[in-house]
Amino acid sequence: MTAATVGSREKQSPKSRVDLWLRVVMIWHVVLALGSLGGVAYVWLGGVTWAGWVKGVVTAVLLLLALFSAMAAVDINRRQHRGRTISLAVNYLGFLFALFGSMHLIGVFTGIDSLADSFMRGIPFLLLVFVGFFIGTLTDRYQNPATQRTLRQTSKAVMIVSGVAFLLAVGIHNGILALLSKLTDPLILLLVGGTAVFAVMLWAMWRQPSAEAMHATNADNEMLSGYLFLSPNLLGFLFFFAGPLLLSLYVSFTNWDAFGTKDWVGLANYGRIVNLDVARLDTITQLASEAIDVTVYDELTRFEILGRSYIVGAQDKLFWLSLRNTLTFVLLSVPLSVVPALFLSNLLNSKIAGMKFFRAVYFLPSVAAVVGIALVWQWLFNATIGYINYFITVAVNFLNSVGSGFFDPQIRWLSDSNTALLAVVIVAAWQWLGFNTVLFLAGLQNIPRALYEAATVDGANSWQQFWKVTLPLLAPTTFFVITTTTIQAMQIFEQVFILIPTNPAGPNNSTLTLVLYLYQKGFQRFEQGYASAIAWVLFIIIFGATLFQFQRQRTSGSSYDA
Amino acid sequence: MNKRVTLFFVLMLALGLLLVACGGGAAEPAAEEPAAPAQEAAPTEAPTVEEPTAEPAMEEVTLRWRTRPDNQAEIDVYQSVSDELSNTLEGINLEYEAGGSETSSYQDVLKTELGAGTAPDVFWIPGTDVADFATRGLIMNLRDMASATDGYSDDAFYPGPMYHLTFNPETGNTGEVLWGLPRDVSTFALYLNLDLLAESGAPDPRELAANGEWNWDNFIEVATAINNLGDDIYGYGQNAWWGPYGYWINAAGGSFFNEDRTACALDTAEALAGLEFEQRIYQDFNVAVPYGEDSEPPFLAGKVGMFQNGRWATPGTRSSANFNWDVVELPEGPAGPSNWLFWGAYVVNANTEHPEEAWKLVQALTTAEVQGKIASLGANVPSRVSQEALDAFLTYTPPENNQAFLNGLANNPATEGPLWAGNWPEYDAVMGPAVAAVLNGETTIDDYAATICNEANKAFNQ
Repeated sequence: MTAATVGSREKQSPKSRVDLWLRVVMIWHVVLALGSLGGVAYVWLGGVTWAGWVKGVVTAVLLLLALFSAMAAVDINRRQHRGRTISLAVNYLGFLFALFGSMHLIGVFTGIDSLADSFMRGIPFLLLVFVGFFIGTLTDRYQNPATQRTLRQTSKAVMIVSGVAFLLAVGIHNGILALLSKLTDPLILLLVGGTAVFAVMLWAMWRQPSAEAMHATNADNEMLSGYLFLSPNLLGFLFFFAGPLLLSLYVSFTNWDAFGTKDWVGLANYGRIVNLDVARLDTITQLASEAIDVTVYDELTRFEILGRSYIVGAQDKLFWLSLRNTLTFVLLSVPLSVVPALFLSNLLNSKIAGMKFFRAVYFLPSVAAVVGIALVWQWLFNATIGYINYFITVAVNFLNSVGSGFFDPQIRWLSDSNTALLAVVIVAAWQWLGFNTVLFLAGLQNIPRALYEAATVDGANSWQQFWKVTLPLLAPTTFFVITTTTIQAMQIFEQVFILIPTNPAGPNNSTLTLVLYLYQKGFQRFEQGYASAIAWVLFIIIFGATLFQFQRQRTSGSSYDA
Repeated sequence: MNKRVTLFFVLMLALGLLLVACGGGAAEPAAEEPAAPAQEAAPTEAPTVEEPTAEPAMEEVTLRWRTRPDNQAEIDVYQSVSDELSNTLEGINLEYEAGGSETSSYQDVLKTELGAGTAPDVFWIPGTDVADFATRGLIMNLRDMASATDGYSDDAFYPGPMYHLTFNPETGNTGEVLWGLPRDVSTFALYLNLDLLAESGAPDPRELAANGEWNWDNFIEVATAINNLGDDIYGYGQNAWWGPYGYWINAAGGSFFNEDRTACALDTAEALAGLEFEQRIYQDFNVAVPYGEDSEPPFLAGKVGMFQNGRWATPGTRSSANFNWDVVELPEGPAGPSNWLFWGAYVVNANTEHPEEAWKLVQALTTAEVQGKIASLGANVPSRVSQEALDAFLTYTPPENNQAFLNGLANNPATEGPLWAGNWPEYDAVMGPAVAAVLNGETTIDDYAATICNEANKAFNQ
């Protein structure tokens, strides 16, 4: 064993025993490789009626499994440490697949939902478990070993008895019976058995003697530990983010309605989104049907340039309206939630009494549920009995009582196409303001006090200090705040959806945003394929905007350096 | 306590909970389940002496079902109905799931569950959704089972809903299939604030209706009188969806669609006349809650004289109105009396494992007895054409003038219905904003007429 190999802190197993385990693992990988190839044959020759793309994905996975298992078998036989790495990866993924697959088929995940019904029955016993735990914590208060032992034993007894009672109360007996009855299903049995086998193989290859026999170095072990710790997040990302992302890309090239088959339509969905027709009008009031093909296009807008009138028709007018609304929302909500946050953070950065309370108050909207916030604002915005208009009326009446002659506007916040989007902007900006303020506060507290002292010595007043010291040094924070708020604003949905529940698109589609539109297309109008295409267009827009901001930050960042 | 012991104990508890979860919904106490009756008659041939003589017990089938309640009281009644039926339907164990309200996207959740294969066996959908669900194969054709059921007849229900529920999209004929049975029906009425009415000195719409004088002119007269009571008082209110403005269009002799519902008819002279009159209510007479604002809160706050809504608004008005109120039928338009016949249906999930049991449940949920229980809440009118059911409905007061809803049923109502030849959500998405723009004065009737059907007809190409 070289110096680089793993030290022998643990008692070394007999070599023959290690060799036996490694041989078992090698045989397991051979079986796995052959089984995978058999699975591929079954998928294509066994009369399986899956959709073509499902067959393709399953085949690819099985072929990869066969390939890596074969590589692992060869490398284990040659005692090359690469074989251990591959074996661990294959068995770890196999273990997770078999474990979650069996849990799914047994019904554990849906069972957790229904567990909520029976959980209440067990709460008294669960409280007794905590009482038992509390008794255990009292042992440190007594010096007498006999008392300590008594308390410890009492604690254990209470916890075990009440724990068992809790499990019985919530129905563990039903669970065990159900589990046993479901184990008669061959597929479930296969997966449960597979879970056990993968776990044993994982253990066999992970243990120290195997690592040594496979010439694993400390660096190898550290790398594997690193990936192990990373794996929950990495797998979660792959399965719950990257996977659906790629699936949505595929779906965007189909006409899938979420229920039937997915027919490939190529770029048709994207074509429909961007299909515009611009035509010249004789007069600005000319009928659209005389200029564009109204069986395909809807009038989007008309305009005059150099005395000539034009009309723009769109195959999907609502997409363009939602894009316009989304961009307008971004242009209004981002400054309204960033600029006040910047000034507010400067105020909250001072050391005056009760400042922590004010910080908490301003942060409160950020942690409050969007649904609750939107419902409250819905009432505030009510044009006939809402508080906002009420206070405006009171103010106008007061001013008029002193002879000002103001007109009470009776603003129809949510029912007028001129104000509906503004109402959403107000709610969103109000909600985001607190979080942005906290981010700016963190940035402000990283600016060295010495710079302000130097500026004071140089005769700079408060405004000059803010403009010349604070703002430039806050640039990285400002960039982060603007970027994240812009992305958030591009994806605006919940506030609109709840603020105008009967018609989220708002009067004359004035609050129809891109995410709302794709939601309506996907989940209300049975057009998952088209909705996916809209999602990808939105992704491209957000990506482009973010890239632009990064570019600008790089440019302005270098100017500070200079 | 030793940390390892605590950790071990916590892990055992977590493992135990996972084991509990394996039981899923099987944790119901067995004592509450009805005794399983014998499934089949004993064999005719004499059994051998070695065989046990006990007959096999019928296997209990669990069905999940869902409807869209509007409040907790409705959830409680549906739950009690479910519990009772669970005891009376042989071999069927029911699990009732209260779906979200309309504004909680009941249909969106349902569609997602259908896509995921986790939707209930039996569920309620609004009448406008039947075509989308049927043509996509999401709901089961119950005709064969209905034909084999003694005593079942399509004629037991109102013909309007049954036209759509028996429409075969492949042949274009009605009566050939059966997509479900209507849960209930409803019509519009005007909810009256009698205190405001008395204060304004306007004639009582109920008396005008009784005398056959309740028409659009008198409606404007009453609305104006109430509206003049103050700046924050409104003569009339409606909510912004297709039902309310559809009444004004229909009552003028117009319609959303042509006769066979294969094209837009929003630009006919009659439809435009109805919409123009409604526009004048908002823009000229100026007697209404601004279009697009929810009219129910100001009505319940006692600030609206006449609020156009369906029977479903009755429970809320009963519990929240602190003023004297009643209802009256909608005024007669130039083309005579008009109203909507709203309905929704119980349908069976196409992927249910227990279609026979699901059909039994649908029948059980639409008996006169069950409908009577639901109707007693005030939210629904029974969907069965039964004088007994209607007589029972009339006893559920307030409002005193329940007859107004039944008059709506009798006076040639247009039936809420799906769009078999097109896509209703798309059509509605075009029509709603265009109508709102007219009513809010953002566009003229002429501009609306020039474009509306060009845009709306695209919904028929999908």
